[in-house]
Amino acid sequence: MANRTLTLLMTAAMMLGVCAFLAWGKPPKVVGLFVVSGMAVGSLYALGGIGLVVLYRATGVLNLSNGAIGALGVMCAWQLQQWQVPEVATWFIGIALTTLLALVYGRLIAPGLAWRDPVVKAVATLGFALIVLGVTAFAWEDDVRKFALPSDKVAYTLLGMRITLTRLIVILAAIAIVVAVWLYLSKTRTGLNMRALADNRDISALIGVPIVKTETIAWGISGLIAGFTGLMFGDLVRLEPFVITFMVIPAISAAICGQLRNLGVVLIAGLCIGVIESMMTLSPVLKSIRPIAPFVIAILVLVWVQRGRTNYFAGN
Amino acid sequence: MPITQSAKAGLAFALLAFVLLPVLAGGQWVKIFISTGCFILAASGVAFMYARLGMVSLGQVALMGVGGWVMLRMNHAFELPFEINLAVAGAVTLMFGWLLAMPALKMRGLYLALITLMAAGGLEVIFSTFRFPNGGEGFWGVMPSVAAPFRRPFLVSDDTDYLRYIIAAIVAGFLIIELHMRSAPGRAWAMIRRSEAAAYASGVNVVYYKAWAFGLAGFLAGVSGGLLAGGLGLLDPATFRASESIMLFALMIVGGSRGWLGVVIAAALYRVVPALFNDWSIDADISLIIFGAALLHAITTAPNGLSGQLTDLFTKEVKRT
Amino acid sequence: MIRIDNLTVRFGGVTALDAISADFSQPISGIIGPNGAGKTTTMNAVSGFLDYQGTISWNDEPVDALNPFKRTRWGLRRSFQREQIADDLTVLDNLQAIADNLPGSRSERRANVEQAIESLPISHLVNRKAESLNAYEKRLTDLGRCIIGNPKIVMLDEPCGGLQQEETDRLGELIQKIPLLTRATTLIIDHDVDLISRICAETLVLDFGRRIAFGETSQVLADPKVKAAYLGVEEVAQ
Repeated sequence: MANRTLTLLMTAAMMLGVCAFLAWGKPPKVVGLFVVSGMAVGSLYALGGIGLVVLYRATGVLNLSNGAIGALGVMCAWQLQQWQVPEVATWFIGIALTTLLALVYGRLIAPGLAWRDPVVKAVATLGFALIVLGVTAFAWEDDVRKFALPSDKVAYTLLGMRITLTRLIVILAAIAIVVAVWLYLSKTRTGLNMRALADNRDISALIGVPIVKTETIAWGISGLIAGFTGLMFGDLVRLEPFVITFMVIPAISAAICGQLRNLGVVLIAGLCIGVIESMMTLSPVLKSIRPIAPFVIAILVLVWVQRGRTNYFAGN
Repeated sequence: MPITQSAKAGLAFALLAFVLLPVLAGGQWVKIFISTGCFILAASGVAFMYARLGMVSLGQVALMGVGGWVMLRMNHAFELPFEINLAVAGAVTLMFGWLLAMPALKMRGLYLALITLMAAGGLEVIFSTFRFPNGGEGFWGVMPSVAAPFRRPFLVSDDTDYLRYIIAAIVAGFLIIELHMRSAPGRAWAMIRRSEAAAYASGVNVVYYKAWAFGLAGFLAGVSGGLLAGGLGLLDPATFRASESIMLFALMIVGGSRGWLGVVIAAALYRVVPALFNDWSIDADISLIIFGAALLHAITTAPNGLSGQLTDLFTKEVKRT
Repeated sequence: MIRIDNLTVRFGGVTALDAISADFSQPISGIIGPNGAGKTTTMNAVSGFLDYQGTISWNDEPVDALNPFKRTRWGLRRSFQREQIADDLTVLDNLQAIADNLPGSRSERRANVEQAIESLPISHLVNRKAESLNAYEKRLTDLGRCIIGNPKIVMLDEPCGGLQQEETDRLGELIQKIPLLTRATTLIIDHDVDLISRICAETLVLDFGRRIAFGETSQVLADPKVKAAYLGVEEVAQ
């Protein structure tokens, strides 16, 4: 336990160090804007990472199609808004659609692969991602679109930084969802079942853990998170299917920083990746290669985590 | 060393292609086949890693981009022969691949897939920001107007000759892989696939041999990228997007990761199908859907891919007669 | 002789092995105990797959500083509960896979492999693909891998698992040839008490990670403490 807290603190410290370096010598107001924007996007990265990790731990599937189904969800929501459907309804429909897609995969396709290697299961989700992305790209022509939420227009000033309500909601939601998931996993029966499945699938089946029901819930949660993050990416980043689909990459980075199990680290890592990426805009040199930040951070964390140790049962 | 049935068929096919294809192909199809040939070579890198070791690399096309970049830069910066540039492209890509993947090679196979996917995403951004060298100044070597000419290999005077050059390169690549498979590295790789514990118990330095495999795949990616640069004279960042690396891997599974037929099918699907769709005015996005569905189908039902199913069919027919 | 001195293995809060000590001076020795006693854990420690405290040495050569693949090159050989041979390779390739990593010139390694093939009756299997072998032939190949080169320690984890009685007998006889073919000290884990009493001169008995008996096999098997451990009866008061 102490080791995990140490990892958490070290990760946070390293990332804060990088942020401080990037912010050096720049006017605080400007820095503040980028920090806020970065924290908002970072919260989405963290949420994506959490969705990945929870599902992975419960089912062994690292669902690389989360971004793609989120993209389809937000495009449908946008389209419904173009057809004058009330905004709130479109959000629900979008999220319902993504949850449905996740459940379809989880109940119809994933069971056929349940006994295979985790890598194979992840590659299969890539196939699903290609299908969903293809459908989305085909249905909507290449165009510049905008997805707006009413909370975009409301802003507050906190600690001298101006922050829109949307961004505030996203940051608070990320923290709230992490806490909720953590409570769910540790305090409820189904949460306990999920942890049992994550630990040892075969024995869990033998002692009577209801696998199908537990997994269905895990897929459902994964779909809900994907839907929410899809809507928010559409608002905060860009409403474009390919872009949102590949937002799964920073989510993966956050998940890797948490070694695919430590939710607290995933949250912190996601936030930091978002902030660092955002603050790279301040540097004229690093500005154009911002999007490689998630990759570099994940690699550095991996190198750090592996120092001196070799896991000899890596493949078994 | 015995030559298998499959190898004989493969060499026969290559010979046929070498002699007939450049003659039969017309117009833009020569360029399409050149391109397909380069992707055959790149796909063979991902295929052997997956079949022999169970390693998944989702960044092979991105590494081709690295090889292509080096090739173009070398071509415009120095006056060295084509083959030297190609060798440098292969070597640089090999080392670049190691740099990216080394931390993941020590961990579970899933991490390698994730890291290569992220690398592909990162390289996509770099290529679209900095573009490919075309004779301009500075490190990035890009100039805004028409590109400077690209020097081809000594023996090659036109596109049909270049197609033959590529076919020869593909055969050479396959032979290099086969040489590995039949000697110590191939045996070590097979033990690693069985289980890392068994490999360690056999005295195999697992990380070293995984790195060797990844390096070979990276070398093949670099060379194929260089050959692509040679074929087209200039490269477009859109060719090396992350989704392209994913598609190539997906089609490798669909075609079958064992043997030469699988990668030929994979590259053909990858390059020829979109070209046909273009001719028939079908939206390119449809290919995403078809390939994704094919991947899902192949993974769940046909472990040896289309090539496996075709070979099974063929051997059944032969047995009946 | 294999000396295990105060071997302790901990997984988080659980002590899997508690200060195990034993000097295996006989050519073939057994390790037995109820399920979960720590037998495979002991072999995994000797293989170097786990962190442990204590020392492990053979003829006064300690192995603790070596990592798993270096231990194999030093002279450790091991088979696992499930046979671990590569399906896409032939039997010959499977044997060469381990010979490749042993010290010596190419011709020496080639000679080692041929010697192993001749010593066990597997010359008829040499060019067969491993996936086409039956259970007995796979176990035989696994055993072949264990005697290549100059092994110093050979560890067999349930070498006869999944075999019928006469196959077990035949494999047992072949295992008894190991001291004739090599200088190695052999350790065997098995649940088959007949097999252990037939081929092991001395036996270590583990229960809940502790050593509860060690010595000449027939004496150990007659020990009331050992019987109690297997039958789950309360430990017999001394």
